[in-house]
Amino acid sequence: MKKFLQNKKLLSAVVAVILVFTILGGSVSLRNKRNTPLIIQSFGNDVVAVGSRIIDFPLSFVSGSLNNVHDLLNTQDENNYLKSQVTELEQAKARNSSLEAENKQLKSALKLKETLTDYDMVQASVISRSPDSWTDLLVINKGTTSGLRKNMAVMSGGGVIGRIIEVSAASAKVELITTSDKSANRFAVQAQATNGKKVHGIITVIGDKTLAFTQAIDSKKLKRGTKIYTSGMGGNSPKGLLIGTISATTHDSFGLSDLIKINPAGELNDPSIVTVIQRKVSD
Amino acid sequence: MKTLRKFTLVLALYVALAISGSLSFYLHQFFSIGNAANLLVPVSMMLIALFDDTNNKEVWLALGAGIVSDIYFFGIIGIYAISLPTISWLLQKSARFLPEVFWAKVLAVLIASVLIEVYTWLILNMTGLSSIGILKLVQSILPTLCWVFIFVCATYKLWWNLVLNYPFMVNLDNYR
Repeated sequence: MKKFLQNKKLLSAVVAVILVFTILGGSVSLRNKRNTPLIIQSFGNDVVAVGSRIIDFPLSFVSGSLNNVHDLLNTQDENNYLKSQVTELEQAKARNSSLEAENKQLKSALKLKETLTDYDMVQASVISRSPDSWTDLLVINKGTTSGLRKNMAVMSGGGVIGRIIEVSAASAKVELITTSDKSANRFAVQAQATNGKKVHGIITVIGDKTLAFTQAIDSKKLKRGTKIYTSGMGGNSPKGLLIGTISATTHDSFGLSDLIKINPAGELNDPSIVTVIQRKVSD
Repeated sequence: MKTLRKFTLVLALYVALAISGSLSFYLHQFFSIGNAANLLVPVSMMLIALFDDTNNKEVWLALGAGIVSDIYFFGIIGIYAISLPTISWLLQKSARFLPEVFWAKVLAVLIASVLIEVYTWLILNMTGLSSIGILKLVQSILPTLCWVFIFVCATYKLWWNLVLNYPFMVNLDNYR
């Protein structure tokens, strides 16, 4: 022990290693536990976010132009498809508005103010992505000043793509639903079984970023193509946000429990514009 | 204004950091081929260390760049904040023995990039922020090295000129 203490290089190395692990452990703990990051962290995020927005402006212009050319090439096919959808859409809109009015009347009759399906939306643009493809993090250009809070659900392309894990004044980090982060908050979901009953479970990630519907009881009654929605039970997200559709129902590697694979509905590869969902009902 | 020239590299690294995030987003489809990592910031720091191997203050620049990168990209401190100063110091030490040719520097950067990739994987797995198998790591190394090579070729001259004309925390007027 005396020899060890006298060896300054060795002692410094040990102290450095302990310091590294302390900083790492502390920052991971802060990331998971705190609702808002430390002021210095929030400041750092926003300072870089300002630079990212400036850099993003010409890049999004070029990217947008390329997308426009691509869209132009597909115009005819898209037009034919949209024409076929217009009639159905008008009918759906009319039915939707009448159902909405009926829903409002029923809520007021029952003296219900806000339910799990009520939410507000905030539009945001993605300005950055994490440099490695393992962490699945996006940075968006809205923060606490726009009313965003930790754990809010984020949607893009018609489905849920993730949730906010860190929010600063003018930017926020979104962890994608496909993350393999062990401490990530999972979405509580539900689906309608063939017998009409609701099957509840959570979304987990298996293998190579494949989504799965797990912890479900009576999962055998779920068929391929069934839509999966958030159940609003987790306390963070509202009810009724589309997660995806069931792509396959198999068994896990041990052959013991059912494994329901999900095809995500959200745009996970190129979510340039996202919608943050603010649940109205508190926890 | 002259005093600010000593911090030109800080500003350049800040721009590199912002560009890195935007590139990761816009070129995600390409980076996701083989799960390659975008190491623009580490590559920039490595080139700075190789070009300015006698300036001990570069390690502090690497530490600052590492902390800001960690806060912005990962939300935790300890990935780039540790790897960048360490790699920077190692490259500065080895630069004295490397021949002053482009390919020698490229080789040094490629080896250092592998070390950074492995360290990032180790920390992410250890902290539970991702659970990626070792096979995925091995598969990602070659695509990452291809991107590193592209970044080195694209930014070599830029960092060379910046380091030569605006070394970090060194007032060149004292030598003129």
